[in-house]
Amino acid sequence: MEPLKIIVTGPVGVGKSTLIRTLSETEVVDTDAKSTQEIGKPTTTVALDHGTLRLGEHLLHLFGTPGQERFDFMWDVLSEGALGILLMVRADRPDTLSAARRILDFITSRAPAPHVVGVSHLDQPEVWQPEEIALFLNEPPERVVAFDPRDPRDAVRPLARLLELIAP
Amino acid sequence: MSKKDQIDQILNELRTALPELKEIIVATPDGLPVAHVGGGDVATRLAAMAATAQGLGRRIAVTTQLGNLEEIVIRGDQAYFIVYAIGDRGILGLTTPAGSNLGLVRLEAQEYAKKLAEII
Repeated sequence: MEPLKIIVTGPVGVGKSTLIRTLSETEVVDTDAKSTQEIGKPTTTVALDHGTLRLGEHLLHLFGTPGQERFDFMWDVLSEGALGILLMVRADRPDTLSAARRILDFITSRAPAPHVVGVSHLDQPEVWQPEEIALFLNEPPERVVAFDPRDPRDAVRPLARLLELIAP
Repeated sequence: MSKKDQIDQILNELRTALPELKEIIVATPDGLPVAHVGGGDVATRLAAMAATAQGLGRRIAVTTQLGNLEEIVIRGDQAYFIVYAIGDRGILGLTTPAGSNLGLVRLEAQEYAKKLAEII
């Protein structure tokens, strides 16, 4: 069976690289550079992350994008031929949801593939619930999945939902 | 003289040494423009692309066992885009027309990257 190319995207600091490191069964290709801006972490992705994961009978190739808008040319490069998109957002950072929406619109305008929204950081004190995020992003609630990108069992959930949309 | 002025001065010297250079960009490792000499409003884009090239180049160098990355050369049929690390704190990116003396560009660029490393 053909491997499925999945784009993992979302604003900076949402945990895209973490997710791919958590899930990949092969050595992860990452491209971190020291961050010079206050983004709440020491490094940031400047090109891509890549990892692979077997889910049921499917082999997924996960391509993580940079989160910062100045790297939007990489969104373009990476979205070529994508069969599914996982948009990650942080429940504790509703101020980044508009940026998330812009990234999703940018990528779906180039790769019209099904997408799922993964909501992380729900363990923080002040959060928006997935239903509220779905409402804000104007997405059907069943496409908005809460998950923890650090936990191997939990991290797979939005991808499983995405697979249901791609290969029902 | 401020750091920014010193960097600008070095870039101007580099431009004098290699007048054929079209764009010279100094960027942070995460792709923000620090200084730019050249025409047009391309600093933001060039800085981000230099960082992407550097990040990906480093990774390819490791994966394919090339040793430490020394330079990236992207050759079009009309010009080159060349990227050097400024220590581990910055990136120097240059565009120069096809037909430029690449050997000379390399020598000068590496020397100026060292000068920049002392300031940044």
